[in-house]
Order: sequence, then structure tokens, then C-alpha cells
Amino acid sequence: MTTMGDILHRFAASSAGAVVLALTAGLLLMSALAPSLPAALSAFAQGAVGTPYAIGASVNRAAVLALVGLGFILAFRANLTNIGGEGQMAMGGLIATAVALRTDAGTLPLGLGIVLPALAGGLAGGLWAALAGWLKVKRGTNEVISTLLLSFVAWWLVYWSVHSDALLRQPRTSSTSLPESEDIPSSAILGMLSAPMHQGVLAVLALAVVVYIVMAHTVWGMRLQAIGLNAAAARRSGLSIGGLTIGVMLASGALGGLAGAFMIQGEQYNLKAGFTSGYGFDGLVVGLLARGSAPAVLLFALLFGFLRSGGIGMEIAAGVPSAVVLTMQGLVILAVAAAEFLRLRQARRPA
Amino acid sequence: MNDALLIVLAASAIRLAAPLMLAALGELVSEKAGLLNLSLEGMMLAGAFGGALGCYLTGSPVLGLVTALLFSAAVAALQGVFSILLRANQIVSGIGLNIAVLGLTTIASRTIFGRNAGFTIPGFGKVVIPGLADLPVMGPALFMQSGFVYAAPVVALLIATLLYRTTAGLALRAAGNEPRAVDKSGASVIGVRWLAVMVTGLAAGLGGAVYSLADIHTFTENMTSGAGYLALAAVIFGRWRVGGTVVACLVFGVASSLQFQLPALGVDFLPAALLIMLPYLLALLAVSGLVGPQSPPRALTVPFDR
Repeated sequence: MTTMGDILHRFAASSAGAVVLALTAGLLLMSALAPSLPAALSAFAQGAVGTPYAIGASVNRAAVLALVGLGFILAFRANLTNIGGEGQMAMGGLIATAVALRTDAGTLPLGLGIVLPALAGGLAGGLWAALAGWLKVKRGTNEVISTLLLSFVAWWLVYWSVHSDALLRQPRTSSTSLPESEDIPSSAILGMLSAPMHQGVLAVLALAVVVYIVMAHTVWGMRLQAIGLNAAAARRSGLSIGGLTIGVMLASGALGGLAGAFMIQGEQYNLKAGFTSGYGFDGLVVGLLARGSAPAVLLFALLFGFLRSGGIGMEIAAGVPSAVVLTMQGLVILAVAAAEFLRLRQARRPA
Repeated sequence: MNDALLIVLAASAIRLAAPLMLAALGELVSEKAGLLNLSLEGMMLAGAFGGALGCYLTGSPVLGLVTALLFSAAVAALQGVFSILLRANQIVSGIGLNIAVLGLTTIASRTIFGRNAGFTIPGFGKVVIPGLADLPVMGPALFMQSGFVYAAPVVALLIATLLYRTTAGLALRAAGNEPRAVDKSGASVIGVRWLAVMVTGLAAGLGGAVYSLADIHTFTENMTSGAGYLALAAVIFGRWRVGGTVVACLVFGVASSLQFQLPALGVDFLPAALLIMLPYLLALLAVSGLVGPQSPPRALTVPFDR
């Protein structure tokens, strides 16, 4: 017999339930803080979906989160936890900027001026993550620790690049020249679908399909799943665990690197220290919530993209700190972590 | 390099190392027991905020310190609920706690202290040890510091004693390597893990309070700005030993202090960013086993379920 408790358990054990619980808590927090809740909510809605511009900006944010999330679920299929999206994005943005500013890519035909920096960025993010994969294979280093540490290193590499005149810092024309790179040439900037929404969004949709197909319908995807489910058995059956581990980290990081490149080429147009501003961690959350499903990554990325935009709108228009949204995200993660426990307990209970 | 500059450098290196050392030694206890707390950052931030809040409300730095410990212990207890009770993914729940603590302390700080921080609280001053502070060079660097700096070696001794000279410590270390064996022996894996995470919470709170109660007497949003992650790196670089962790924190302290002092030394070929990333690079080398064999507790991050 299904009791009310069972229903509640099942509800809370799903990602959607976790999100709803966390959002409710956020709403309560908001109502305690806002002078007027309706005003805060309307400012939130205005910031998220109020104007075509707001929608475009939110979708761009979602595209970045989706790429990192797709990278996360891909590696997670092989039971690898890549929490270094932030660093892979940083490397992607850094190298994309360097290629756009310091090579002649912009003079090439066929849109190569846009494609080459993006690919270089993807490759950079991929190699950054592959380093963690290599350490795992060769030295048994836990990838959680190495991807996290590599993120900090990448963060400071970007900082260094935009502070050093020998690297990417813009020429000091006046005392107010900030430690940032120059703007990338217009030949490297992504085209607009409907400003500010850029064409990278289409690439993200295509990549979501690719990731879905790779995971569900290819031999490589099956092999990833095999080592994810039982590495020892996969090894006995002759799979190259080392090659697959490094390969999937490369692919996972490349998606993060591409996200960083898109942030530069689609929205920011120049490199600043800390330009990734937490998107790598948000993308990780998106990947976690999606539980291995590529379509779900897109859904949660949209949710978080609109949440972030709404939070910013709320802070500006209604004076409610956007930290409310930050808190909500923290609660979502915790609710999902707890939901896992309820799910396991349910699975164990005899039917 | 002249003496005056060396004193400044050594004094700031030690001052910067102290909060890291307190938190890292606390985290070492958890990791020895098999728990990885990425929420160390959140615990420190909660400590820094609690310290400022308690002091702000009561005007007493001592009560501020008590509040700091209560706040960080609360975060540690939550981490314990996730890691031990719910057997949740320790990394995921740690990141979640960090984000939630950052959000909540930011909101609370604006609500309570007001938008334009700029407020000051009494806080702790420097404690000059008579006699010793007059020693040449190292005297002023070592013995004109806040009480927290003197507390760090004491905490190191206490934690070394706990880990290596008590039965609880024996069970605790075993829980991080062979939890099944501990369980069979009749000791409680769950119990020692709870002990460990609470010790971590208190030590991290002490470390976090350094920022708001000793370094500067106020609170700013995201005040710890990654110190917790640095402390985590120190445990790794210290290869899960008390002495190693202490040395790692001192190295990180020197690197951080050099970054501020290099211009004064006339060194401009070494970018400050390199020094700041040095701790993470060293930790990466350590965790790759490139500076000697790595020896993380075997059951680190593995939940225990009887």
C-alpha cells in the first residue's frame, strides 16, 4: 500500500522534488528579506524573462551551464567526477582569447576566424582535464582533488595573463587602463541569432544531441558505462581503462573549454581575471541534477540560467541581494545530495 | 635583504599561516577518519562571520570567539549529517554547504551590519611576549602576534596527541583505513567520525575567527576567499601528517606574504600570480606522488554503512 510518506519520499528523492523544495525555501527567504515580495518577484521575472534582451542573456547563460553539465555527465558515465569545470572554462577562455588576438586566424575565410579560437579553447579545456585523467591513470590521483586544484591554477593563470604586459594585458594607454585583455577582433565574435543570443547556443544544442547519442548508442559510450559500473570486470574483459579514462576526461574538459571560449566570443569580448565567475560550479550542479541525462542537462541549465538572470534583476531593481539565489543553489545541491540517500533506501526496501 | 624587511616578511608569513594551520589541522583529523570536508571553506567563513556577529552584538571579543565556534560547529554538524548519517556524496554536499554558507553570510551581513560595511568591532590585539619579543629578527616576528598564532602550535600538539596517543585516535585513524575492522573490534566508526568532523568544525572556526577578530576587526563578504581550499591543499601537501601539514601551511604563508613583499624587495621578474598559485601546484605535485609516496587514508570519502 502506498502511504503518504512513500509519496513524499519518492517526490523528495527526485531531482525535481529537490529543486522545488529548495526554491520554496528560497522564496521564504526572499519574503523575509524583501520590503515587498510582489515587487521582488516581479523584478525577478523582469530580469529573467521580462524583455527579449533578458531572455537572450538568460539563454546564453544556460548555454554555458549546459556545456559544463554535459561534460560532467559524460565523465560521470565512467564514474569520474570532474569538478574542475571552472578551471577548464578558464583555460578555454584564455586560449580562445590568445588565438583571437595573437594569430592571424581572423583573416581566414569560411568563418574559421570564429571556429579556430573556439576549437583551440575547447582543446585547452580538454587537455587541462586530460591532465587529471592522466594523473589518475599513472599515479592513482583522485580526480576530484586534481580537477579542483587545477581549477585554482587555471584561475591564477588567467589573472597572470591579463596582468602581464608580455602576455595578454591591453596596452597601457592611460592610467585607467584596466588589467584586462584587448577586445578580440570582430572576426572572432560569434554571430547573433537575436541579440544578445549568440550562435553558440545552436552549437550547444547540437552537442547535447551528440553527447546523448555517444552515451546511449555508441560502442565508446557502452565502454564508458562498463568501466563506470565495474572497472575490474571491464579490465578483465580487455578494455583499456587508461585510454578510456584519459579520453573521456579530454572530451569532458573540452566541453568546459568551449563554454569558456563562448563566454569570451559570444558575450564578454575580452579576457578578465575571474571571468568564469562560478559558472563552472553551477554547471557541475546542472550535471548532477540531470542524473546522466543529456536532455535533463538542457532543462536544468535553462532553469539555472534564468535563476541567475532573475537574481541579478532582483538585486538591481528590488534591492534584494542576489545572494538569495546563491543560497537557493546551495540548497538545491544539498537537497539532491540528501535525495540520493532516500532513493537508495527505497531501492533497498523490499517491494 | 635588511633585517627590517625580513622581520616584516617573517611576521606576515606567520600571521597568514596561522588560520590555515588551525583549519588544516582540524581537517587532518577528519581525513584521518575517512571524511573529506570541502565545506572547510564554509566552516571558516561561518567562523569569521560568527566571530564578527558575536563581537558586534556583545562588544566582547571572547563572546565573539564563542559565537564563531558555535557557527562553524553548526556547519560541521550539517556536514556530518550528510557525510555520516545520510551517507551522501561528501564532495557534492561539501560544495553545496560552501555555496549556502556564502549566500547566507552575505545576506546576513548586509541585513545586520548594513550595506556599507565599514563597521569595526573590538577584536583581539597583539600579544607581546615580554623578553622573547626583544630577540633579534625572529623575536618581533614570532612573539608580537595575535593570540591565535600562539594557539596554532598548541592545537597542533593537542591534535597530534589525540591522533597518536589516545585510544579514540587509534580507532579514528583505523576508521579512515579499515572501517570494517574497527566495526568488528566493537568500536564505533560512526562515533569516531562524528568526533572527527566536530573537531574539524571547531578548529576551522578558530581559523576563520582570525580573519574577523584578529587580522582586521570587521567582516566582509566572502571574507575567507578560498582559505579553506588552501587548507585542504595543505593537508594533501603535508601528506596527511601533523608535522607535514604544519610545514605546508608555513610554506603557503611564506608564499602569500612574499606576494605582498616582493615589490618592496625590488623583485619584479617573479609574477605575484605564480606565488599565489604555488600552493595549489605544490599540492598537485604532492597528490600526484611526485614528492614522495602519497598516503591518503584508504577509506577517504567512502561512506560507512553497517
